[in-house]
Amino acid sequence: MIRFFALRAGRALLTIGLVVTFAFVVLRLSGDPAMLILNVDAPAEAIAAFRKAWGLDQPVWVQYLEYVRHVAVGDLGQSMRDGRPAAALVWERVPATLQLTIPALLIKVCVGVPAGVYAALHRGSWIDRAVMAAAVAGFTVPSFVLGLVLVLVFAVQLGWLPSGGQDSWLSPVLPVITLGVGGAAILARFTRSAMLEVLGQPYIRTAQAKGVPWAAVVRGHAAPNAAIPTVTIIGFMVGSLLAGAVVVESVFSWPGVGRLLVVAVSNRDLAVVQTILLLVACTMVTANLVVDLLYGVLDPRLRSAR
Amino acid sequence: MVEIGRRAALSGLGVAAAALPRVAIGQPARPTLTVAVQKIANTGTLDPLREQSSNASERYFGLIAETVIGRDQQRDLRRVPALATAWRRVDARTVELDLRPDVAMHDGRTMTADDLVWCFGPRLFGGDTPADAQAVGRRYWPSLERVEVVSGGGGGPRTVRFVNRTPDLTMEGRLAAGGSQVFSAAAHQAAGWAAAARKPIGTGPYKVAGWRPDVELMLEAHDGYWGGRPPFAAVRVLEVPEAAARADGLRSGLYGMASDIGPDQIQDIERDRRLVVLGGPVPNHRIVVFDSKHPQLKDPRVRLAMAHAIDGQAIVDGLWAGRTVVPAGLQWDFYGPMKVEGWTVPRFDPARARTLLADAGYKGAPIPYRIRNNYYTAENATAQVLVEMWKQVGINAEIEMKENWSQVLDTSRPRAARDWSNSATFDDPVSSIVNQHGPNGAQQTNGEWTNAEMNRLSPLLEGGEDAGERKRVFARMLEICEREDPAYLVLNQNASFTAVRRDLGWRASPSFFLDLSPKGFAPA
Repeated sequence: MIRFFALRAGRALLTIGLVVTFAFVVLRLSGDPAMLILNVDAPAEAIAAFRKAWGLDQPVWVQYLEYVRHVAVGDLGQSMRDGRPAAALVWERVPATLQLTIPALLIKVCVGVPAGVYAALHRGSWIDRAVMAAAVAGFTVPSFVLGLVLVLVFAVQLGWLPSGGQDSWLSPVLPVITLGVGGAAILARFTRSAMLEVLGQPYIRTAQAKGVPWAAVVRGHAAPNAAIPTVTIIGFMVGSLLAGAVVVESVFSWPGVGRLLVVAVSNRDLAVVQTILLLVACTMVTANLVVDLLYGVLDPRLRSAR
Repeated sequence: MVEIGRRAALSGLGVAAAALPRVAIGQPARPTLTVAVQKIANTGTLDPLREQSSNASERYFGLIAETVIGRDQQRDLRRVPALATAWRRVDARTVELDLRPDVAMHDGRTMTADDLVWCFGPRLFGGDTPADAQAVGRRYWPSLERVEVVSGGGGGPRTVRFVNRTPDLTMEGRLAAGGSQVFSAAAHQAAGWAAAARKPIGTGPYKVAGWRPDVELMLEAHDGYWGGRPPFAAVRVLEVPEAAARADGLRSGLYGMASDIGPDQIQDIERDRRLVVLGGPVPNHRIVVFDSKHPQLKDPRVRLAMAHAIDGQAIVDGLWAGRTVVPAGLQWDFYGPMKVEGWTVPRFDPARARTLLADAGYKGAPIPYRIRNNYYTAENATAQVLVEMWKQVGINAEIEMKENWSQVLDTSRPRAARDWSNSATFDDPVSSIVNQHGPNGAQQTNGEWTNAEMNRLSPLLEGGEDAGERKRVFARMLEICEREDPAYLVLNQNASFTAVRRDLGWRASPSFFLDLSPKGFAPA
């Protein structure tokens, strides 16, 4: 077990290191933060002074080593835009993002999984076709389009809900639905496929032949076996909790991590971008780790396979 | 002895009677206005020496801090009294100003001459101001020597003199421009630059109550404002990046005002009779800049042909709903006597363009044209129209979409033409043609273009003492930059549109500024 954890942790650290290094190099080589933050009209002298103040006049590898040295002692750096610590800037946005992504995750799971199971159990029926048609529509309509349509209907026409911002308890409703619909659609399709595959297995027929009630067959044999691909997708969705709402946050002017990431990337505000990437990578790696453990719980054969 | 007649006495009583109830029962409650903007600040600060984007901070910055000489934001941007009630020329190096008495600052202090001495001394050029902001200060005031406090009096010193090291007829214009705002010296020195840049203490009709960068700026009424009681108890400036979301928020009643409205949104918004879209041309021109080192653009005739190939009016009519204009070159009406009358952009003349190309021996080789993804209003559509217009005369321009300015200016691959816009920060051509295209302007420091005569003329425009001679120099610069050795071609004057609730009775300024002071609601 210790070896299992050590291997996973080592792999996770390597992944995080690669993500951060790749982002550092790409961001450094694709735009000069001084020119992006101060604007192209700024005097050359101002741009040179800004570069010097933030060490941007050093070779990229020197900047990288300096960055790694600081990260190693827990210093994630400061925003070049306003000088505030990057960690504090990111951390103050996290609650806003989770306010959207956690309820959206609940919608995805609570709507998508039952819908997929129900459609599979009624394969070929009008309910199955209706669920799948809705699922296809749900994940093919881009979230910014769905968001704008919801705003037009519920905010502009009906006036029931705010069109954006974070001012009232109703404010998260539309962004949460926008986020939830696509994910629920994906889960419904995956769950249906997994269930159909399992329902076609010989052991399901055997259980039925032995006279096990259909509900018990589904609950005791089909659902656990179909859960593995579904858990994988849910794990991915959990990993995206912090940075999975970039577009929706922009459409609904929601002050979360996603919007901060967009601004930071467009200004090449490297400390902020790297901090967000570190956080996202850590979340994703942790989610993967938990999913790996869940595999073992769901299917004992996988425990011994390790 | 002053005599008061019966009519004067009665009218005086009437005025007093009208005023009394307000004093006695207090002012009526005021609403809070929510304004949706595309961007609050690019730099994460509210300091005009750091935050210089014309289409972000200029929208509201005048609500927080003011200059000694103002601009008439309700008419033609001409100079008007602001924190100074009057000013006069002492000589070519010196401007003298009478400061307005009893100007309350946001920290409760009364503005003094010492605030100006600090603002135009250590704040611009030293103290704890970062080096990059000082460099911007030196661009705004390249030769300012000192600010002198001239006279005393009952209410303290009220007259100050701005003394330049060299002659400069643009000093009054510079005093009315960004970077010359007056802040509380005591408050800023106590807070330090970084903190003051997040919460500047000025004299404007609204003071900063809170700021979450990239999210919202909370302003509250400064009731001691010298220009009258602000019409809103608070103004909440919200950052709403998506244009459609700003319009939807306005229609749903979430916002009272939405700036940065695209010309293509106007008709749709105005279908709602409660709303109106106001605004029009602002002191900013959309231009295409040339890199004269590119093999295809070395010959100035090719660059001039690119200008003659463009039907600017068609772009204005088609993409701007006719709500802006093709300007008279890189100049603006508010230049006043310095505007070169009769000057125009090269006329739309495809035949002349073809002749120029033939004379230059251009054979249709590709000319890369770099743009950003709708960084400017209707930028992508404009670029596509330009490429088609150029194609009509045989110019093979190829659009290269870039993500940011570093990529636009990158020299590792051939660059030839790019999009840009030029603002006039004050009412003199030095503010644009010299600052942007002169020897220290971005186009030359980026290595895109240079011209020996232009560089020889620039100091004459900056330091010339004879107004007539300066105007002749400017006219010659226009000839060089727009005809003989084109540095750029002017497309159209940019326009700024703001959608607003009709019942607010607001009037738009002929600039980016959203004037929410009492003047912005005064009858025309």
